[in-house]
Amino acid sequence: MNQAVISCLHANLPAVEAVLKDIELQGITNITCLGDLVGYGPQPNEVIELIRDKEIPTCQGCWDEDVVDGLDACDCSYPSQLAEKRGHFAHQWTTDKLTKENKDYLANLPYSIRKDKCLFVHGSPNSQHEYLLPDMDAFAALERVENARAEILFCGHTHQPYIRELADGSIAVKIKNAVLKDTQEKEIQLPMRRIVNAGSVGEPRHGGTKATYVIHNDVTNEVKIREVEYDIELTCKAIIDAGLPPIFAWRLKNGFEFAEQAEDASHVCER
Amino acid sequence: MIERWALVSGLKGDLDTYELIQKDLKKTPGNISLFVLGDMIGPEKNCNRLLHRLINPKSNDLQPWCIYGWWEEQILLESGYRGDQRAEALRINKGEEVVKSLTNAVDKSFLDWIAALQFGFVELDCGLIHGSSKDIGENLTLDTPPLTLLDRLTRLQVNRLFTARSKQQFHLELTEGTVNSEVEDLNGNRKKEQKVPQKAVIGIGSGKNYTLYDVGTDNTQFLQAGYKSEKRIKGFGML
Repeated sequence: MNQAVISCLHANLPAVEAVLKDIELQGITNITCLGDLVGYGPQPNEVIELIRDKEIPTCQGCWDEDVVDGLDACDCSYPSQLAEKRGHFAHQWTTDKLTKENKDYLANLPYSIRKDKCLFVHGSPNSQHEYLLPDMDAFAALERVENARAEILFCGHTHQPYIRELADGSIAVKIKNAVLKDTQEKEIQLPMRRIVNAGSVGEPRHGGTKATYVIHNDVTNEVKIREVEYDIELTCKAIIDAGLPPIFAWRLKNGFEFAEQAEDASHVCER
Repeated sequence: MIERWALVSGLKGDLDTYELIQKDLKKTPGNISLFVLGDMIGPEKNCNRLLHRLINPKSNDLQPWCIYGWWEEQILLESGYRGDQRAEALRINKGEEVVKSLTNAVDKSFLDWIAALQFGFVELDCGLIHGSSKDIGENLTLDTPPLTLLDRLTRLQVNRLFTARSKQQFHLELTEGTVNSEVEDLNGNRKKEQKVPQKAVIGIGSGKNYTLYDVGTDNTQFLQAGYKSEKRIKGFGML
């Protein structure tokens, strides 16, 4: 059976509507959302209400958390001080716009959703703010999946869709302790695990302008990345009309959002 | 000149043990740096004399370099140094009496000094911490999965991680290993084989059990305070 996984909607209603339509055209009814319903975009209430009305199981994203609990990110969240300043502006704008009912909805979202061998989170099992970038240290990536007791970890947050398979792993250790005089040596075989990043519906950072999501077949374990066109002009106009920074519209329109990605792929968030 | 680090933890107010360690180290050849990796305090006995000695070493003492441990974290929580949080984990697991014993064991005048201590030190390519780079309360032991140990090393970007929380003395070296990574994204596929770098996690012991690390040779000695130096075994293992 196919399931669709969407993430990082970022208050971009035309993109969300287009992706939900594409999922419907694939004949998929099982959808999971990895959070960040709000932030950057101009339609936070509308997007929350659409996801809520469709009863799509949803994890809490970092923006969803921060709008409820206040800003509390480590320095990995933004690539520059300028980007951070724009982010803080959007945070305040979103906080002011959201209805109490919608804030309550965000506040009550779970950090993770587990379905059999699949774990769904926004950033990583450690934190909504931790980036699992596609080329991060392979052992660290494997540790995130294994310690979460999952076989497939679905995440978002990076806005870059990818499928990463970690296989044929082993670690050899040599142990000496204060009690035993002999040295022990052993080799531990590591399990095969996968990380699937759904990318972003409302704010792609893959160098293009299309919204992305993933489809997973839980029988064949096949994963496909889907790219969906949407009415970008509509979103850009709404950004300008809302008084949000015009660069938010410019980068969406030109596919330059990738410039906002975290720079250090090896960074392990300590938040 | 040989450079050695003496790594101590879990004194919990025991000035006698600290003096024994100081005495041992004075007889140890080489240039010794003394690191106290937390748990200088605890609920069992009054800790003020030890804290005073750590802050004001005697003229012939080795200068101790201290970080905070799990018990320091508990008293800081309970004393309001961590915002609204209190030492609830301690309260639930050990009871109200232990919380009271802890706060009674340390004079309030020491709290600012404790609060100013660091989480850990990074010296050369070594991390010196109480628990792990993820959590001050995390026990790293011989039974901790190597994948977890490797992650805790990676977080600090060090090759040697000295930890105290488990109270065990051990040396676990990650000698070799690989994992194959294949990434598919919108740009196509890429494969990479990543190898395990040579790294180690060292449990330094607690109380009278402490560790000497020879910086030049990467040799670790597990020692017990008060044993005559000639009975020590060089390398790994102890009497």
